[in-house]
Amino acid sequence: MRTVVIHILIMALGLCLTKTAVCEQALIFQPVVSIYSDTDGKGLLHPEDVACTADSIFIADTGNNRLVHYGLEGNEVKFVAQIHFSQLQNPIRVQLTSKGEIWALSSKDRRIVRMTADGQFLGNFEMKSVPDQENIVPRSFRIDRDDKVYILDIHGNRVLVLSARGDFLRQIDLPKELTAFADFVVANSGTIYAVDSVAARIHTASKDAESFTPLAKSLKDRMNFPTYITTDNSGNLYVTDQNGGKIVLLGVDGSFRGQKAGKGWAEGLLNYPVGVCLNGNGLAFVADRNNNRVQIFR
Amino acid sequence: MRLRSDFIIPFLAFLLCFGLLSGAHGADNKFNLKEGAKGKNCLNCHDSFEEMLKNPFIHTPLKNWDCTGCHNPHASRHGKFLDAEAGEICVSCHTDLFPEKAVSTHKVAIEGTCVKCHDPHAAKYKFNLINNGKTLCFECHKELGSKVAAAKYKHMPVEKGCVSCHDPHASAGGLTLLKENVPGLCLKCHDSSKLVFKKQHGGFPVEGARCTSCHDPHGSSQKGLLYDKVHVPFAKKQCKRCHDESSAAEPFKTKAEGYKLCLGCHSNMINENLAKSRLHWPMLDGVGCLNCHTAHASAQDGLLKKPMTEVCAQCHGDTVQWLQTVETKHSPVTEGSCTSCHSPHAANQVLMLNEPSVVEVCASCHDWQKHSTHPIGDDYKDPRNENLVVDCLSCHRSHGTPYGKMMHAPSQTEMCTTCHSAFRR
Repeated sequence: MRTVVIHILIMALGLCLTKTAVCEQALIFQPVVSIYSDTDGKGLLHPEDVACTADSIFIADTGNNRLVHYGLEGNEVKFVAQIHFSQLQNPIRVQLTSKGEIWALSSKDRRIVRMTADGQFLGNFEMKSVPDQENIVPRSFRIDRDDKVYILDIHGNRVLVLSARGDFLRQIDLPKELTAFADFVVANSGTIYAVDSVAARIHTASKDAESFTPLAKSLKDRMNFPTYITTDNSGNLYVTDQNGGKIVLLGVDGSFRGQKAGKGWAEGLLNYPVGVCLNGNGLAFVADRNNNRVQIFR
Repeated sequence: MRLRSDFIIPFLAFLLCFGLLSGAHGADNKFNLKEGAKGKNCLNCHDSFEEMLKNPFIHTPLKNWDCTGCHNPHASRHGKFLDAEAGEICVSCHTDLFPEKAVSTHKVAIEGTCVKCHDPHAAKYKFNLINNGKTLCFECHKELGSKVAAAKYKHMPVEKGCVSCHDPHASAGGLTLLKENVPGLCLKCHDSSKLVFKKQHGGFPVEGARCTSCHDPHGSSQKGLLYDKVHVPFAKKQCKRCHDESSAAEPFKTKAEGYKLCLGCHSNMINENLAKSRLHWPMLDGVGCLNCHTAHASAQDGLLKKPMTEVCAQCHGDTVQWLQTVETKHSPVTEGSCTSCHSPHAANQVLMLNEPSVVEVCASCHDWQKHSTHPIGDDYKDPRNENLVVDCLSCHRSHGTPYGKMMHAPSQTEMCTTCHSAFRR
């Protein structure tokens, strides 16, 4: 039997809870602790994403076909529950709605699955009246603060915007040249940033734009193969360089601001990382895929 | 007075002309050179040139006995007493070799190693070439030479010589030294307005298409100079299985997009892959199978668009770039066989590995149980990470590293002590 509860000391957590902005700026990617397993000792297997709030973490434990829910209580990370049902096959993205629902992209059958806060299956997210709907291949998805759903459709080379009920609102076209968009993020401003793994380039679309345009130049000299992007409340971008084993920090204008971690096994290093979640309280959760763990940085 | 001026003007003119002529003569031989000093006298010592001069093609300076056009008779900083670097000397006379806006250039020409193709003195072949036509080209382009020789169906211009289509120095007209890009170059001989041309192409308006996407211009074992590997419906001229009628408004438009176009025939393979847990995403995008494969004909197995390494490098260029910098490389990677370890369509393992575990992937080539005494496999936890087991990648990096035996660390000691930390010094 493995350790039931992983005890950690999260320095400055109390301060962060009250001074979010200060803590976000102070995120220095210093390793705090890693999550390896649940209460039954079942280890994470190739986790690819993390969703987080001030007091919760939901891990897409991709290789185990499940989500794992942990709570953040003071200075402790505490296992809450695993979410596991047949409709959840290789979850590669996990998102939370404002109403507390958990949504995950089940990559094997390429469906978005909806769950209650305690992990009860609610059904698949059904899209309505989307052009060329039968060909949609969702590679990633996001839910914004208004619960609008954004889907990266790599078959249609577009980002779809839908209501929480699945009504088609609009689409934003991605560039047509040889590209491999792997992920995108919707900033608080409504601006969308999409990451092209092959060109190592970020493309952006302002709130009401109909298509994406490149943001700054290619970051080939800084990144090997970026596959994930997220943003903080200030609009700074955090891009996961999967093959490079690092997190690259970019300004709102796409300018390079530095890189964190590096390839390896030791705590603080990453091996083919994917998802990153910033909880707004100064903590970053990184799905360290090939190290079979989620690392927490502050 | 008139008599005087009639005499003086012609006299002055005579003096002026004489002066100019004598001055010019002085400049021409200001060093008081002996007769033949600029070249002919060189043969007094360099007597092997007697034989060389029997060749049918002699370089103009030599023909004019002007050895000093290229060589300094006394001293030089350059080999063979040349007046400058070899390439620089050549372009001082041959000024029109490189078009101002060259699209492509021949490496040997741009590097100034003209003597790789030309003899600077005399040769049996026109333009002082050291060998005849394509024989000369195939001295470097050996693989192509073998292919041309083995081709069952020959392309006549190739038989006549590479310069039928290529400019040997540089081209302002096309890539790969082509005098003009495809299809323009091809259409100079192959008249697309002729009925036979239209019939051969099923009535599709291919005159705007890239001919070399289906045809091998250097020869082939397939009729019509198609690449050696031909897609069955294409070979059977069943164009309508994928395309609309040739007379349609968009005749090249396919009946479906992405992998769905291929599903009709390859449903078993595609569905089998779609059932796996990890998909190679390009297979499912709007381009689908055609990201890597060609639909008509290819020189590569599996109808790949290009050699496998090049196909994979379209997206995974970072891996290929890494390989160029490292000392030890994994042979399947250098041999362009990415599929030795990875499944290109889908897999149930992370990194699209072919086998359920890293050890099994490696064991398909390496008999690790015989040569390794280190415990590896699912029963052995990695001391560095409780969620990992010890496998081949614990010590080796699969594509290659800057260190011996594809180790992660510069020395064996450093590698071992990443786990056996008690022995770290």
